Amino acid sequence: MKKTLVTMLNGALCAGALSLALSSTPAGAQVEVSISPPAWFIATASPVYYDGHASYWYGNRWYYRDGGAWRNYHGEPGYLHDYRGHHEQGRQFYGRAHGGGYRRR
Amino acid sequence: MKLLKLPEFFSLMAGVALCACAAQTASSQPPIADSSMAGDQAASELREHHRHHHLGGVTQFIAMSIDTLGIDDARLAQVDQLRSSLHVCMAPAGAVANKLLLAFADGAASGAIDTAKVDATVDQLNSAAASVPGCSADALNRLHALLLPTERATLVDKVQAHWEVWRQVNDEALGNGHEPGSQLAELGLELSLTADQVAAIAQTLHTPLAALAGRFDPNKAEAYVQAFTSAFGGEVFDARSIAANATGPLATHGSMRMAIFYENVAPLLTSKQRVTLAEHLREHASHQPQIK
Repeated sequence: MKKTLVTMLNGALCAGALSLALSSTPAGAQVEVSISPPAWFIATASPVYYDGHASYWYGNRWYYRDGGAWRNYHGEPGYLHDYRGHHEQGRQFYGRAHGGGYRRR
Repeated sequence: MKLLKLPEFFSLMAGVALCACAAQTASSQPPIADSSMAGDQAASELREHHRHHHLGGVTQFIAMSIDTLGIDDARLAQVDQLRSSLHVCMAPAGAVANKLLLAFADGAASGAIDTAKVDATVDQLNSAAASVPGCSADALNRLHALLLPTERATLVDKVQAHWEVWRQVNDEALGNGHEPGSQLAELGLELSLTADQVAAIAQTLHTPLAALAGRFDPNKAEAYVQAFTSAFGGEVFDARSIAANATGPLATHGSMRMAIFYENVAPLLTSKQRVTLAEHLREHASHQPQIK
């Protein structure tokens, strides 16, 4: 019984937190969580150039730089979707196992 | 209403944390074409590189950024040639940096690093690295002219990313040695250090690394990186117009940190671990760019 109560409270608290977050947003405004690829990823990944941006496939999304901010496509563009279907994300490895990154693969 | 007892309260809080984690996981799953393990491997190798190779400051970051710029085949040979020119400019500093790595390797093998030799070599490195920006200015100007605006912006992002990683690994606070990705944690995996060894090394390193951190001003290096990235992102660029030059301090700080680290680590290793560490450091010294 106690377990059930705690489980119910868990769910209620999660839902409450979500609804609080949504209800505190002004009507008509969109909630945008700022996520960007980490520095180590940008430093080691090759981008795909599309629509005037360098795009990176990271965390199941395409990210691109737009001025000072990182943005992502909410609907995956067809070109990038096709690209992903035919190419692996290019990565660069710099460790001892890869000759410090100087060894051409 | 009945108040929850302490265990129930903790259970509730754990549930909230799980809820938060689940929400976060949904928005940051590993990429499909690049497994999370490969991502971690690339990150680990990048940290390893930036901890051991200090020769050209921003010029080095630029040369590395070209590796993943994604240039089309038509201009690839030209960009490769310019990257080689940057490596030529960094070669004198690279030779000194390799001498330093070999001194660490010899010291690791014997259990005691020759600090006087290391200090003298770091002074040489400071001088050699300071000349890199002047030498590489012409190649950077040609690179700017060759790249499209989008590619310049991409290179700027990458240079800033390399600087961020460099700063994380060369200016990081030393904890207890168990922080994932920290130098001591990664050395622990590399050499199979015992928990007692990790604790002893962390304790030994604490004071000298804190003293070194006080002698390095990351803001000056930050200003240098920003001066380059602001200028390179523009339509008109002349590398010679960038007055800031933190190449020497970057190379010196990175090398001094490495010296302090290995000087304090070597005496606390077993003979087998010292042999392995010496081999790894010699491997680093053998890494040479292909100059065309």
